[in-house]
Amino acid sequence: MTAQPEAEAALKPPAPARQGPSDLTLSFVDEATVRRTAGAAADPEWLLADRLEGLRSFDALPIETNPLYTTYVDLRNARLAAARPYAGPAVVASGAAAAKLLPEGASAYAEISENRVTALVLSQEAHAAGVILETLADLRARDPELMRRLLEGGCALPENDKLAQMTRALWSDGLLLHVPDGVRLELPVFMRWIVGAPDTALLTRTVISLGEDAEISVVEEQVSADGSESAATDAQAFFAGTTEVQLGSGSTLSFAGLQDLSLRQVAFQHRSAVLGRGATVRWALAQLGCRVVRSRIDNFLEGNGSAVEQAEIVFGSADQLFDLTSYTRHVGEDTTGNLLSKGALADKSRVYMKGLATIEHTAHGTDSYIGEFAMLLSRQARSVAIPSLEIDQPDCRRVAHASSVGPIDESQLFYLESRGLEPEDARRAIVLGYLEPVVARVPLESARDLLRELLEAKWNARVVGRPAAAPAAVA
Amino acid sequence: MATSPEIVSSEYKFGFHDDVQYLEETKHGLTRETVEEISRIKGEPAWMLDFRLRAYEHYLSRPMPQWGGDLNQIDLDKIVYYRKASQGEEKSWDDVPDKIKKTFERLGIPEAERKFLAGVGAQYDSEVVYHSVREELSKIGVVFMGTDQGLKEHPELFKKYFATVVPPEDNKFAALNSAVWSGGSFVYVPKGVEVPLPLQAYFRINAENTGQFERTLIIVDEGAKVHYIEGCTAPIYTTDALHAAVVEVIALPGSKVRYTTIQNWSNDVYNLVTKRAHAHANSTVEWIDANTGSRLTMKYPSIWLRGEGATAEVISVAVAGKGQHQDTGAKAIHLAPNTRSRIISKSISKDGGRTTYRGQLKVVPGATGVVASVRCDALLLDEGSRSDTYPYIDIQEDDTTMTHEATVGKISQDQVFYLMSRGLTENEATNLVVQGFLEVFTKELPMEYAIEFNRLVKLEMEGSLG
Repeated sequence: MTAQPEAEAALKPPAPARQGPSDLTLSFVDEATVRRTAGAAADPEWLLADRLEGLRSFDALPIETNPLYTTYVDLRNARLAAARPYAGPAVVASGAAAAKLLPEGASAYAEISENRVTALVLSQEAHAAGVILETLADLRARDPELMRRLLEGGCALPENDKLAQMTRALWSDGLLLHVPDGVRLELPVFMRWIVGAPDTALLTRTVISLGEDAEISVVEEQVSADGSESAATDAQAFFAGTTEVQLGSGSTLSFAGLQDLSLRQVAFQHRSAVLGRGATVRWALAQLGCRVVRSRIDNFLEGNGSAVEQAEIVFGSADQLFDLTSYTRHVGEDTTGNLLSKGALADKSRVYMKGLATIEHTAHGTDSYIGEFAMLLSRQARSVAIPSLEIDQPDCRRVAHASSVGPIDESQLFYLESRGLEPEDARRAIVLGYLEPVVARVPLESARDLLRELLEAKWNARVVGRPAAAPAAVA
Repeated sequence: MATSPEIVSSEYKFGFHDDVQYLEETKHGLTRETVEEISRIKGEPAWMLDFRLRAYEHYLSRPMPQWGGDLNQIDLDKIVYYRKASQGEEKSWDDVPDKIKKTFERLGIPEAERKFLAGVGAQYDSEVVYHSVREELSKIGVVFMGTDQGLKEHPELFKKYFATVVPPEDNKFAALNSAVWSGGSFVYVPKGVEVPLPLQAYFRINAENTGQFERTLIIVDEGAKVHYIEGCTAPIYTTDALHAAVVEVIALPGSKVRYTTIQNWSNDVYNLVTKRAHAHANSTVEWIDANTGSRLTMKYPSIWLRGEGATAEVISVAVAGKGQHQDTGAKAIHLAPNTRSRIISKSISKDGGRTTYRGQLKVVPGATGVVASVRCDALLLDEGSRSDTYPYIDIQEDDTTMTHEATVGKISQDQVFYLMSRGLTENEATNLVVQGFLEVFTKELPMEYAIEFNRLVKLEMEGSLG
């Protein structure tokens, strides 16, 4: 492992014994660390100022600013007092640009392992079309003005989010993907983060910028280094990552995110998209790993006719907590928001699905739908759904939300068993089939297959709850 | 809305007020002395004074809620927390002081009683002025009286259940109510008794800046059945009145309780109410709740399903016009196996009004076999009106069957066009569509109330079309 967390890590006292649900145990978020991070990266003045602004916001904000959600925050299983950020930006390994690293069927590939960039390669076609995939350190050297334009002011990171502002203050690594006007790539860009060294903290930003009428798909994997799960320590690792998307008019981004970090990992994710006229973003997100994951998505439908399609699946086991928030703000006319969350929860796992659609007064002709569904596979599992609407404009095509929670459907089970499936196989088929609509939206064949494998593995690894759910007493 | 008592809006027909000489009233604002004075005037047992003071301390320590409607405009120091207009609770209508009697006659109470209802209670500002229960019901042990009288006449029953459903520590306004409560209805229905006709109560705020803090306690014994209806009105003043009620319902095993509210306070009343029921085994509790009045209502009728096989139903309607915010909803907390709940909410926003649905559905570990559904529909009639929906669905038991749906939309122009093509004016057509939207609620009301409610909504609709 190449991890070099700062040396004083081992000297810090352990986390306090009693930790409240909103207590954040991170001990490195201070001005000295911000200045050290900026110094190690040789940041320009404006960027240091921007980081310090982020730190001020971090200090001023509570973990959850939205009073709707304050009772559904739980960071008690995140014990991060000993976690230390990497001292400087990721080092690009020699040979990272070798063409042979490019996976089949991809038009670009970036792989970042802890604080080393182990692959950063574009297909000839992508390169010729002017697509840029580079580290933010390279961007800093190549085009400081562009960097300033993309990042200053926290870009689209939510101003009222403490954890996003922390990443703004302390990020060390990052990627830029830029697709010029009119460029449409068939093959997806593949990004992979490999993290999980004990007591480390990695804070990163990924900026995706699409010009007018550009189109691309991205597959992002967040995975743990082999063996980090079985390491002889219970120290946790911390990962904070952003995806900051700016979509020019008429452009389309399909983004598939697969999070399968180890149970020793705590992750905060912030994804935001600002959509121009007629732009579309499609999120297909799978949340499988982490002890605690807190994710927030912000969709700003500013351009007339812009659209978001968002599908997120959760497969929980052990005592995992998936704390998932999404804000969709309809501003332009005739915008569309179609948001679907589905969770299958085994063991003592929990999901919080907090989706809020806001229809502003300007947003005539909005079509907005939020669906939040959960299947509980064990008596100890828990699902919280808060699908909310705030509507300031009555002239809408459709505004609705729906939610349901239940066990595996007994009649489906009966049907499959009557066709000869073993009960366990029938249950697996139902649960995996329930999650499949999101799997099918992942743009890369190999990533789809990987996701199916991971779901299957997760099914097999769960602690089997009670053998069969008792039928509901009343229909 | 009107800016002085003389100008009574045609939209609000209960906006008149009487110049009553009050027998007792406390100073503006709330101090420990106010609480002691109320208790002294009422001649209460010591435990009740202790209870009030405990609640008062809690009220002071609790911050104003920040999550709901805008409470910044309310001046709690201007409120008069206790006003008594009549010597005591009268059993015969003829004994009620003339001015108060005239008011209630304008509201139509004794007429309703004669025609239809099993018992009638009326509260004027802080005190219950009139109470009656049909003789045959009192013979079989049905108790329906003012809550103060209940404390005097049924001290043991009262103490056993009072504040067991909504303790003073529940929220700031429940604490306030507990400190200064006065009036409300006390109902007891003995084992196996079915009250054939609804019990009815009217609450009226008469004087400016009055706080009404009624406290209703309904105990329905095993296998008994009752329907309780309340209506609320107030005159229009420029300064704000406060209504912070607490309603506690105890549905013992096998009983059935329906609680219907038609809230039509004038648009200067802050209506901050805690309503909660405990549903024991195999009982049924239904909240039928309409809110058309007040400046701000924050009210979320709740049912704690404590016993196996209990059933909960909430049908809630909110209409918000100019300057109004109806922040309403419902809660079903499933604490026992094989319990069921159904929540239906309908809201209408118009003329810049705002409706908020805020609800909670919770299934705790151990509550197996729960079946629950929540349905919220909102209509926005015009530009500038607003609607929010915040349902909380927290499920901690795997064999729960829960469904939730919500829609928000405007009036279907197709439907209006169709009705107009059949000869209705646009206003009539719109009224009819709105009535259809609310029918799930209206059809649950006794006929007299359904007619009155439709008229109320119709009045509310007037002038809402350009």
